[in-house]
Amino acid sequence: MVTRVWLLVLAFLASVAFAQQVRLKVFIGGQQRPDVMRRILDVYEQRNPGIRVEIEVGGATSDQQQQYLTTVLTSRDPSLDVILIDIIRPAQYRAAGWSETLDRYLPSATRDQLLRRYLPAYVQANIVDGALVALPAFADAQFLYYRKDLLDKYGFKPPVTWDEAIRQAQIILQGERDPNLNGIGFMGNISEGTVCTFLLPIWAMGADVTDEKGRLSLTEEQARRSLQFWLDLMDRHRVSPPNMAEKAQDTIRREMQQGRWIFATLFAYAWNHFQNDPDSRVKDKIGVAVMPRFEGGRSASCLGGWQWTISNFSRNKAQAYQLLRYLSSPEVAKVLALEASNLPAFPELYRDPDILRLNPWFRDALPVVMSARARPVHPRYPEIADAMRRGLNAVLARTRTPEQAAREILQGLRTIYGQ
Amino acid sequence: MRRPWDLSERALAFFFLVPAFLLLSLVAVYPAAHLFLTSFRELHLALGTQGAFVGLANYRQLLEDARFWNALRVTLEIVLVTVPGATLFGLALALMANLPYGIKWPVRLGLLLPWAMPLVFAGLIFRWFFESDFGIVNDVLRRLGQGPLFWLTDPILAFWAVALSIVWKTSSFVALVLLAGLQSIPREYYEAARVDGAGALQIFWRITLPLLKPALLVALIFRTLTALQTFDIPYAMTGGGPGHATETLAMFIRTQSVENLNLGYGSAAAMTLFALSMAVTSLYLRHLQATEGE
Repeated sequence: MVTRVWLLVLAFLASVAFAQQVRLKVFIGGQQRPDVMRRILDVYEQRNPGIRVEIEVGGATSDQQQQYLTTVLTSRDPSLDVILIDIIRPAQYRAAGWSETLDRYLPSATRDQLLRRYLPAYVQANIVDGALVALPAFADAQFLYYRKDLLDKYGFKPPVTWDEAIRQAQIILQGERDPNLNGIGFMGNISEGTVCTFLLPIWAMGADVTDEKGRLSLTEEQARRSLQFWLDLMDRHRVSPPNMAEKAQDTIRREMQQGRWIFATLFAYAWNHFQNDPDSRVKDKIGVAVMPRFEGGRSASCLGGWQWTISNFSRNKAQAYQLLRYLSSPEVAKVLALEASNLPAFPELYRDPDILRLNPWFRDALPVVMSARARPVHPRYPEIADAMRRGLNAVLARTRTPEQAAREILQGLRTIYGQ
Repeated sequence: MRRPWDLSERALAFFFLVPAFLLLSLVAVYPAAHLFLTSFRELHLALGTQGAFVGLANYRQLLEDARFWNALRVTLEIVLVTVPGATLFGLALALMANLPYGIKWPVRLGLLLPWAMPLVFAGLIFRWFFESDFGIVNDVLRRLGQGPLFWLTDPILAFWAVALSIVWKTSSFVALVLLAGLQSIPREYYEAARVDGAGALQIFWRITLPLLKPALLVALIFRTLTALQTFDIPYAMTGGGPGHATETLAMFIRTQSVENLNLGYGSAAAMTLFALSMAVTSLYLRHLQATEGE
């Protein structure tokens, strides 16, 4: 009898404990290493016994994830608490009212102190109209990946300008006579990466989409020159194959892994694949360099990176905030750098000996991330991106001349910016 | 004796229809009405608009949107190419599956395969077929000594590659409907015709085709409607590219509402697709009634 009473008491206590346990759900993309994220969250659960964190894994690209998130967030679904979003999205999240403002939990003095620790570009990207929408998970930028073995064989140093890269590619292609080898790879299909491709030459000539006040400043001539540059890589210099309009970032990454590219402009995630994938034929043969300069211009890279935000429809915002602070801490950034070769958003980690041992090229990556340029910040960014990527894609598919496409892109941008 | 709780036949019929009516209202009428109302509002989530009533502004914007007209043109071209294509191909398959010999079984099995496959799978499979470096189509061309063709990045080739995939995917549905129609034609007609000395072609034109007409119409209605709503296959194969060359109306609607979050504008575009589908259906139904009245 006594045992039975004790059992009842125990069951009651267990149910109380269960009720007090908070379940949080974190949303990340399929390309963001759910395995590594699980280990990070396991540590958090150990330190916070009352909290259970589940991971929901979305599609493999930024666009696919956002498609799903749009459905969840427009229906005000409370099932997600902390969400990992692409750097291009905070403005949209703020305008649509999907993100909880983090200022609510951070007194302004603490906020400024906290933000000083991150790379400035990410602070800028996450503050929309004065409100802190998200905190950085990891940084990213485009680099020039090159075949160290091939460049060494022909006595070349990593190219500093695009003209050099083109010439080196031409000579290596001529010398190798390998029908499966291509020169310079860049993204040209209808996807987010193609927006970066379009903007690179524009940034490198010192221009941008908007001026400091956020007014449209891009001209048709600047857009045309960018489109012409990429078209010339195929038609005039013959260092890129004629089907670049088909190429997504991960297509080029996979082909480079098979040894089919001399140069490619890719984000940081590619390194881990080249070095560690079992089917990689280029292990230890890949070098990473700063993006080349244009003759008379400067070097420009496209700023990437992922941010943690709290869903405005979460029912556990206070706990979600605590988790978000952990996920955006230097401790987690180091784990991500070690296990997923994600670039940290904290400058001091680029000198961390453990990280440099596994990712020697991080040593030179900091200036690239520091000088990388952000894509336009605008609540209607998806429309801006669509105009740019479809314009470049049409030029590469030769359905539009650079003149026509430049005119159409600018027409689209003028409608969006209301100018 | 009639008890007070006994209902008249009419009332009983009404009573039985209520659940179906309620269900339809919930899953079809309510969303359609909501869509209709949204199409008159300025509901752009990315701009934080509150959904003010703007009358016909969204429709006016559609009329001036070159991308909308392009999507409409692509959609109609897909209807014009894939509906006759799938019907002819489906008819041939149905006739083969209806043969009295052993060949009908492999054909019948083969019919089910594309029909059972999700559309987006078909799109992904065909994207790999037509991929320019590793695709099987270019591999065959290379073995024949022809240069590789850039199927998915040439606007004209991309359209035909997409159309071909749609025909492959959808002709089995047409064939299944027609096969059912073929089997409902009494054998005696054929026997009588053969006794009278009719040739195979004559039998096809005079007996099979006229008696198959109702089934053909049903297949045509469904095929045209699904062709108007074409989304999955071009989305998986080309993403609407190169540029906008294979972007259909359904893809345009998705981009406006899901990607750009412009729900009002997307709803207006969806209403035009809805109207188009209704127009086509009523045209077919009228034709069907006219033939039944003969």
